[in-house]
Amino acid sequence: MQGFLFLSPGLLLILAFFIIPAVVTAVMGFTSLDYRFKWDFVGLGNYYRMVRDYLIPRILVNTLVYTFGTLGIFNVTFGLILALLTTSVGERAGLFFRALWLLPRFTPPVVYAAIWLWILSPTKNGLLNGLRAAVGLSPVAWISQHPWGVIIITNGIIGASMGMLVFASAIKAIPRDYLWAARVDGASWFQEVRHIILPLIRWPLMFITAYQTLSLLTSYEYILLITQGGPFHASEVWSLYAYNLAFSSYSGTYPFGYAAALATVLVVIGAVASVIYWRIFKFREMMAPPRIETV
Amino acid sequence: MASLRLEGLTKRFGNVVAVNGLSLAVDDGGFIALLGPSGCGKTTTLLMIAGIYRPTAGKIYFDDVLMNDVAPKDRYVGLVFQSYALYPHMTVFQNIAFPLRLAKRSREEIERKVKEVAALTKIEKLLARRPGQLSGGQQQRVALCRALVKEPEILLLDEPLSNLDARLRIETRAEIKRLQRELGITTILVTHDQVEAMTMAERIAVMHDGVLQQYDPPGVLYDRPKNLFVASFIGDPPMNLVPVRVLEQGGRLILSADGFQFSLGEELREGLSPLVGQEVVLGLRPEDLLLSREERPEGIPGEVFLTEPLGGGILVHFAFGEVKLRVLAPREQPVEVGDRLWIVPQGEKVHVFGPDGRSLREADAAA
Amino acid sequence: MGTSRYRPGSLVRQQRKQKALKAGMYTFLVLASLPIIVGYLWLIVGAFSGNFVFGFVPQGFTLENWSFLWKPPSPAWPNIWRTVLNTFILAFGVTAVVVVVSTLGAYVISRMQFPGRSLILASTLILHAFPAITLLIALYYILRILGLLDTLIGVILVRAGLMVPFSIWVMKGFFDDVPWDIEMSALVDGATRFQTFWRVMLPLVGPGIAAIAIFAFMSGWAEFIFLVTFVRSPDAWTLTSYINAIIGNYRFTNYGLLAAVSLFYMVPVLLFFLFTQKFLMRVTVGGLKGGR
Repeated sequence: MQGFLFLSPGLLLILAFFIIPAVVTAVMGFTSLDYRFKWDFVGLGNYYRMVRDYLIPRILVNTLVYTFGTLGIFNVTFGLILALLTTSVGERAGLFFRALWLLPRFTPPVVYAAIWLWILSPTKNGLLNGLRAAVGLSPVAWISQHPWGVIIITNGIIGASMGMLVFASAIKAIPRDYLWAARVDGASWFQEVRHIILPLIRWPLMFITAYQTLSLLTSYEYILLITQGGPFHASEVWSLYAYNLAFSSYSGTYPFGYAAALATVLVVIGAVASVIYWRIFKFREMMAPPRIETV
Repeated sequence: MASLRLEGLTKRFGNVVAVNGLSLAVDDGGFIALLGPSGCGKTTTLLMIAGIYRPTAGKIYFDDVLMNDVAPKDRYVGLVFQSYALYPHMTVFQNIAFPLRLAKRSREEIERKVKEVAALTKIEKLLARRPGQLSGGQQQRVALCRALVKEPEILLLDEPLSNLDARLRIETRAEIKRLQRELGITTILVTHDQVEAMTMAERIAVMHDGVLQQYDPPGVLYDRPKNLFVASFIGDPPMNLVPVRVLEQGGRLILSADGFQFSLGEELREGLSPLVGQEVVLGLRPEDLLLSREERPEGIPGEVFLTEPLGGGILVHFAFGEVKLRVLAPREQPVEVGDRLWIVPQGEKVHVFGPDGRSLREADAAA
Repeated sequence: MGTSRYRPGSLVRQQRKQKALKAGMYTFLVLASLPIIVGYLWLIVGAFSGNFVFGFVPQGFTLENWSFLWKPPSPAWPNIWRTVLNTFILAFGVTAVVVVVSTLGAYVISRMQFPGRSLILASTLILHAFPAITLLIALYYILRILGLLDTLIGVILVRAGLMVPFSIWVMKGFFDDVPWDIEMSALVDGATRFQTFWRVMLPLVGPGIAAIAIFAFMSGWAEFIFLVTFVRSPDAWTLTSYINAIIGNYRFTNYGLLAAVSLFYMVPVLLFFLFTQKFLMRVTVGGLKGGR
């Protein structure tokens, strides 16, 4: 009884902010809800609209390129390189660089965006164009000309830190005898990485790949801040499209129903993926039953 | 094969000095042991020789070539870890083949060499298994194979027997010794087990708190321990160490403790006479003491208060107030608790350690 | 020993290779980190100087960028101190809710048997990976019904709610690590289950509470998406809204002001980061893998 009392605030929050919103999202997807907030059920109307929406193919491609580009280049590859390097250089230097890379993750998103807006400013007051001006080149509108590069790099720097931390802690958990044995056996640094470290951290590699695919697929904070999906939907991804439809004025009518239908697609993907991860990564093993049975 | 020389080797971890000014040399093809209690710096020394740790000070030479800054992979050493460190994701074959693969040998050569070395330690049948499917003894042999397959100049063994059960340990001991003889590899064994060191190595370096105490063949170590530490560490049952005061009576030197007097022959006179009136430590090995039922002039009378049958002999305990003495008596000798006997030291096997802990015999020898 | 395998010449070459490799590693790390280093340096330098020459050479020292502390840069904007207060309310609100809710919940999940326990545990874990941001549209609607739209309380509840699965999971790890014997002996000594929780368990999971509190504070402090989506009126602005407005209003112009407000905003983050980064790293990794 007491147990339930302790647990109820948590359950209430989870109910109010996960379960109910998920249901509401799904239901809303079947309505034509807009700025007038009237619930008119339109069946699969929003999904037909989705199929016909001339922007969707572009957004789908954007989403895939963004997700797998960032994942492949930064979250996994760069994260792994950082983890390998910071565990190979001295202890202190390694810690310094890991902390440095972790900092953006804990920086308020607006500040992080502000830094990039300065670096990439189209005027010569920005860093890159200032440098160009110094050698006599004319300024470049980095963000509108290279929206892809910009969102992949800006998201990637934050994304890489998670992989870096997880891989670094996995590398440090490898019994050092294995690494020493490999060195004595004649392994160079690269051979040590290839033959000993990589096979032994296969599991965290898979985990980060799976986990970050999902979070990249659904995250859009930094894109919203830096390119807003522009120019002309060039860097708009699925989740941002849903957000912009619901909350930006550009469509005029705030089509919540349609936006919710778009979000439902992600919610379903998210729910399925979460359950799959739960199965694959053997979370069940962490759930040993308790040993005191009095209440 | 290579010779090895360490000069003033020192390793500090922060404020802790793990190895302090260690100097020793091993001949080409020699087999030595680094012996000492845990934390004495012997494994640290081994890892410096392998190139895993960098010395804080001092020099490491292989074949008179300075090796301090040489990476482990360029040192041609084989190392058997205490944990064996078999790569869990590779089969036994792949484990043993690993050094050869790294050296980019041909497939046929790898195949041949792995088979050869596996035959040497009789593990040919295990090559397809994973380390997790092997017993401790089998893992140990795989680790040895992996160290030997690349024909190292120096073989380093870090407590290779400590994870084996008692019987297997005795067998493996002989096996490693045989292999070392056959292959003639310069070998350094790190162990805390004096029996292991005594049975296997040609010379033993006894270490304590990072400092080399004595570096001698096993027999010398046993017969002429240079200081109190070596005396107490080597020998089982351990040497009796009795704090005594040096007195002079009628021209003879007498070592005295409460309830206990011991007069010395001429042998240590020179070393002891300056110490009259001071405290020294008398060292008597239990197996160097005889028991007699008749009164003996050089003997010490005492009463038996405990006996421990050890199988091969009986350990007889005497007490003289605070002073305890253990004597190893032959099994045939009937001894009962309460017997009054004379304990007779063998003159040439008496050790006396001065106030600085150094053996006076050593001082004699040095003089 | 003419036959020795150790040839000083080739050994020296190998040593040079090793040194080159190390140097290469450092070079790579420094170059790759350059955007981060330069970016954060700009926050500091840019906040105290006028315009930059060539984008990066600061021109003189000035405090002009800090005038927002006593006079809003735009008449429509709220007083900065009101905004700071709001930011603190948001951060502390999230921290309080998260700490209370997840400490209680985690204790029950870690230590008590009850029907549905494994279901709850499984769902906290699954929610852990679930991308809550996809629920934003529905959350907007729910807050609207509850009358919490455009209020800080609404944002506090949403953010705290989304953090609860993570922090319950981290806390459960800490409770799991307290030996059962300690709790059993407290019960045998005559404490009730609640007294055991309050007097014995809570002090022992102090580091865990600190961990989730720091995480909750940092995430409340930095809150962005829910804030700019749910809160419009300047009375409820936090520093995020403030900077968002600068970016919107002054886009591509007043970088001095942008740097100064950003740096001002970063102070608590930098302080926390300086003192707890090792801890943050551990919990980031531990929370992901399940509280250990």
